[in-house]
Amino acid sequence: MHPVYLDHAATTPMRSEVQEAMAPFLSETFGNPSSLHRWGRKASAALERARDLAAGALEADPGEILFTRGGTESDNLGVLGRCRAISQDGTVPTLAISSVEHHAVFDTARGAESRGELRLVTLPVHTDGTVDLAPLETALRNGPTVVSVMWVNNETGMVLPIPEIGRLVEEHGGTLHTDAVQAVGKIPVSAQLPGISLLTASGHKIYGPRGTGLLFVRDATEIAPLLYGGGQERALRPGTEDVAGAVGFATALRLAVDEQADEAMRLSVLRDAFEGRVLAEITDVRINVGGATRSPSISSLGIGGVDGQLLLNALDMEGIATSGGSACASGSTAGSHVISALFGSADTMATVRFSLGRHTTESDLVQAAAVLAQVVGRLRAMEKAS
Amino acid sequence: MSRVLVAMSGGVDSSVAAALLVEAGHEVVGVTMKTFCFSETPSHSKTCCGLDGIMDAKRVADALDIPHYVFDVEEDFTRDVIDDFVSEYSQGRTPNPCVNCNSNTKFKDLLARGEALGCERIASGHYVRVEHGSQRSSLLRGIDPDKDQSYFLWAMPRSMLPKLLFPVGALTKGEVRARARELELITADKPESQEICFVPTGNYRDLLEKRLPPVHPALQPGKVLRRSGEVIGEHGGYAGFTVGQRKGLRGGFPEPMFVLEIRAGTREVVVGTRDELFEDIVEIGGLNWLEEPPEAGTPVRAQLRYRATAVSAIVSRIDDALTLELAEPLAAVSPGQSAVLFDDQDRVLGGGRIVGASTRAAIS
Repeated sequence: MHPVYLDHAATTPMRSEVQEAMAPFLSETFGNPSSLHRWGRKASAALERARDLAAGALEADPGEILFTRGGTESDNLGVLGRCRAISQDGTVPTLAISSVEHHAVFDTARGAESRGELRLVTLPVHTDGTVDLAPLETALRNGPTVVSVMWVNNETGMVLPIPEIGRLVEEHGGTLHTDAVQAVGKIPVSAQLPGISLLTASGHKIYGPRGTGLLFVRDATEIAPLLYGGGQERALRPGTEDVAGAVGFATALRLAVDEQADEAMRLSVLRDAFEGRVLAEITDVRINVGGATRSPSISSLGIGGVDGQLLLNALDMEGIATSGGSACASGSTAGSHVISALFGSADTMATVRFSLGRHTTESDLVQAAAVLAQVVGRLRAMEKAS
Repeated sequence: MSRVLVAMSGGVDSSVAAALLVEAGHEVVGVTMKTFCFSETPSHSKTCCGLDGIMDAKRVADALDIPHYVFDVEEDFTRDVIDDFVSEYSQGRTPNPCVNCNSNTKFKDLLARGEALGCERIASGHYVRVEHGSQRSSLLRGIDPDKDQSYFLWAMPRSMLPKLLFPVGALTKGEVRARARELELITADKPESQEICFVPTGNYRDLLEKRLPPVHPALQPGKVLRRSGEVIGEHGGYAGFTVGQRKGLRGGFPEPMFVLEIRAGTREVVVGTRDELFEDIVEIGGLNWLEEPPEAGTPVRAQLRYRATAVSAIVSRIDDALTLELAEPLAAVSPGQSAVLFDDQDRVLGGGRIVGASTRAAIS
């Protein structure tokens, strides 16, 4: 039995097209894009071509794309940068986030709130994928409001109603940031969607290089930098540019967007068949947010009568690579805030996330379902004996 | 070769145990038990119980190319080990938390979870040996007399023995460190952990004050007296005392005075001279056997403290409790401590907890 990687929401292997596109910029074309000589010009030209490519993939203008060093950085820059731009005149903005945001937004927001930088409003999200928008409307009416709602939830695959939230925000003149890290390449994503002012994407979730990302900043949306240094990326993300990274990321992004529709179709068939097998073979199991619109690449299961951590360990021992909610720090056994927000803190089901990718085959998933049934049986026998 | 779960504390012994199992060709999975008080942010203490222990174990597992998992047993550990420790001291006894932890919490949990992970055997870095025969398995002292840890394992259920492996029990500490250096394990020169892991400062009185209600009798003042009944002073709570401990007393006594007995019911602490500490009749309860229980009259070797030398003794009475007659009187036989019985081949027969002690002279 060969090991099966079903943790594509954690990270993905770099595609060969991406590696090939990057290769020259890791060796002979090594210049600093800010240099005025020919080495610099070559690098600068490649960087701007990458920006064009990325902008095209997201239906944005090149001038609206800031390259960053990853999703976390883009989330921080989008959320804090926008709030700090508003508070330059002394106004304390309101930040509204959903209850299922990634830590890169969730912890950033809570930190800023505790420092008195902003008022925080959390929008409850329900298992059917709906979001309580009443508190958002109230906030939007009462003053400058930044909204940060992810497009696809990383732990459950839930698609959040960004078009609806975008319309509401546009109507009231707020700023919407969306973390689209798990959405790009999985569902149609366009920066042209009304109401979106800021959008985060990441390279390594879409077969691009680690440590690459971008923040789409709609023209005329003012943000404050978090870092200070040279004038790179319009002085909003200073530091010598990673040309190879930008080229690799843009290549991966273009490919992901081009292949999105076909890949989504293929994966949703595979995923549905997998979930069908799981439901047929295992009792006391729940498809988390099965009633919501979901990313085709994620199957999040709630399993009763087992220890969640041990379940992941046992799957790993049998060669099936998965995650609980998201990848968590070593030694940390704190429950997921996302699962608590959706199912309540008293929920006793263990969460396991299977995330599918380009190389996932039907036989991988047949094997995964069979192993899952086997180890769940073993774990339940252990619980019964103790 | 089989799938083996090895408990890795992040210390050198369990690191080498894991390495030896890998060398022997087993499919090895390393596990670190998260027992208590870990904060989610790394502290910078270098004890084996901090988060550093988990990180070191993980680094060793990575170097050996084996999986490493963390088992959270904090709830069980708090209930079975820390609460029991506090309860025993509060009743004037001197507990062995490491016996509870090693014999019960650790191996019981490892065995259950190991089975869930498809492991046939459970291993650790304890300095003990286990002999697997066709009919029975026996637990023996480790080869290194300075490091032998059999004293901590007498209380495990006998049914577990056939599943256990102790790869470093046949080595000395020096040999273990040498192997670790040879393998370039990062834990090769890590210092020993000495104190009770959840009382890193060694001051367990602080822990008792934190976990007992302030009105608990163990924390209230009481009398200090001699065996004769003569009151010679006051103490601030018997929770601070252990039998055998030297007691500083004001007023001046020609000889050093030692704690002989703690009477929880009356909150009295009895002190006396060093001579008065010696006893040779020991009552033992809470028995557990890893071999067939001895009959009355059987000569055994008895160890009454960790790191103490075993002494010759005779089992003079046995039912659900046991009376031991020591060949020579021993100082500071402490209720609450484990009494572990061996045969003359270093085989652990079983053990129990000391309930009381006296002298033959007192009986006659």
